[in-house]
Amino acid sequence: MSRYRWLALPIAAAALAVVPWVTSDTIVQYGINALLVAVLAQAWNIIGGFSGYPSFGNSVFYGLGTYGTAIAMAQLHWSFGSGLVFGAVLGVACALLFGLPILRLRGPYFAIATLGLAAVMSAIIATVEIAGKNIGLILPLFRGDTLFYELSLILLVAATGTVAWIARSRFGAGLVAIREDEDAAQVMGINTTMYKVAALTVAALFSALAGGIHAYWITFIDPASAFDPSLNVRMVIMTLFGGPGTVMGPVLGAFVLSAVSEVLASQATGVASLFYGFVIVVAVVLMPKGLLDLVDGFRERRWRYFADNVRRFRI
Amino acid sequence: MQLFGQILVNGILLGGLYGLMGLGMGLVWGVLKIVNLAHGALIMLGGYALYYLYTKAGIDPFVGLPLAMLGMFVLGYLLQILLLNLIVRSAQLNTLLLTFGLDVVFVYMAQLLFTADFRTINPPYAGKNVSLAGVTVPYAQLGAFGVAVLLAALLYLLLDRTRTGRAIRATAQNLVAARLYGVNPKRIYAVTFGTGAALAGAAGGLYGIVSQITPYIGVTLTAKSFVIAILGGLDNPLGVIVGGLILGVAEAMTALYLDPTYTDIISFGLLVLVLVARPAQLVGRA
Repeated sequence: MSRYRWLALPIAAAALAVVPWVTSDTIVQYGINALLVAVLAQAWNIIGGFSGYPSFGNSVFYGLGTYGTAIAMAQLHWSFGSGLVFGAVLGVACALLFGLPILRLRGPYFAIATLGLAAVMSAIIATVEIAGKNIGLILPLFRGDTLFYELSLILLVAATGTVAWIARSRFGAGLVAIREDEDAAQVMGINTTMYKVAALTVAALFSALAGGIHAYWITFIDPASAFDPSLNVRMVIMTLFGGPGTVMGPVLGAFVLSAVSEVLASQATGVASLFYGFVIVVAVVLMPKGLLDLVDGFRERRWRYFADNVRRFRI
Repeated sequence: MQLFGQILVNGILLGGLYGLMGLGMGLVWGVLKIVNLAHGALIMLGGYALYYLYTKAGIDPFVGLPLAMLGMFVLGYLLQILLLNLIVRSAQLNTLLLTFGLDVVFVYMAQLLFTADFRTINPPYAGKNVSLAGVTVPYAQLGAFGVAVLLAALLYLLLDRTRTGRAIRATAQNLVAARLYGVNPKRIYAVTFGTGAALAGAAGGLYGIVSQITPYIGVTLTAKSFVIAILGGLDNPLGVIVGGLILGVAEAMTALYLDPTYTDIISFGLLVLVLVARPAQLVGRA
């Protein structure tokens, strides 16, 4: 099994790559959304899953990527490529700037600070002239769903590849050490500050690129959609649902939940979000280590797997 | 100068309400070590409870408040017994995520049940006010402020004087030792979370009187409650009220001297600043 695992990723990527040529426009459009949100989940996985820092502010990087690309293209008339780079630079700069003070905080303090950062950033953007204030920006129209699909897929493969490298590297081991016991990690000689900032920066890079692709695809952005807090909810839930701190878990979680919510959203609005809420509650109680762990654990222990999870953390 | 006085009074009146929001958050956090991200949603639910008590049953908001609080206490108690007690010893990320999930559930339940319309609890005396030295004080705001301070005092007495209060404080300090002395932590946790929910409900009801409620007011109020709980310290209900006053006045002053759109930037900027500048050990106590 493990011998063929490395083949699975290229095969899955290749299968996904031919989707635009063999299916309908609707599926491709759904696919772009699913791929981009999978990128966000994978990026969150680096800071939230590996380092154990529950960021609720990753939508800031996504939003900055969105706005960077939009400002470059709509206001400065740059090309899409340079717009993407500009957005990524904004996102990474933000991660470096705020990472240092905010990553000193732990647990709930960190979570709430990132929540605050997201609110502040959205409010600030809404007062900036070049960002179109509250009204937003309109990008040049470009109809090419196949291009956006393939770009999103490349980005997801890059993000997953990066996470696969992190999982096997000294860097990743350091992040896991920080998650398990930060003080001990520090004593072991890990430069925890540098590791955490690096993790956040990598997460910011991928989130910002996803934002940039989404901006040009959707062609209209405003502060409410670019800094949508529910996006944060989704990336966290998808990672948690799939398996935080694993390579394929976030991608799996994103694909499964995107598909389910797509079906639900076509039935009634609001129900999809309600469903997300229930999923997160049930998942934390019954399968706190995610879908991948569930598959392994269920094979071994069947229904006792759930009972064991509940028993472990109750008072 | 008169304008300054008016804004100061407005800020203080709003700040009392903020303090009440922070109280429930701080209590649950201090005792259960759970940062309840659904706190704002509980505030929102309390607001709707009082709204429907007033519009459907015709009960005066200030009379209906204890009823709404009782309902919220029961909700909180059941949530803790049936759900939160299952994961209370789990990693902090999991408790955060669970309450976050609860928040989402409550918000979209409310959207489905109550619609997204703005609601205000509008008793006949809502527009009446009293003038003191040129400063206008609306009765409803004054009443809300008075109730907030009263509830803070009651919570202080509950924690300081009663047997249950002692059990709560003992559990917060040392769970194992409290258990050895015969405290049943499951029940104490449920009572604590229920009390937190009741305080949130009261804050929500009062918020509905002085402002507007929608299903979505919760997120910012959660974050503000958190700021206030930190500003005030987790161990002192009266300190939390002071934390609320600081935030209320800061927001009112920002709206006057800068621009109303900056109030959220200021309060969240204050949050990040407080978090970064204030050493963790100051807020670690309970």
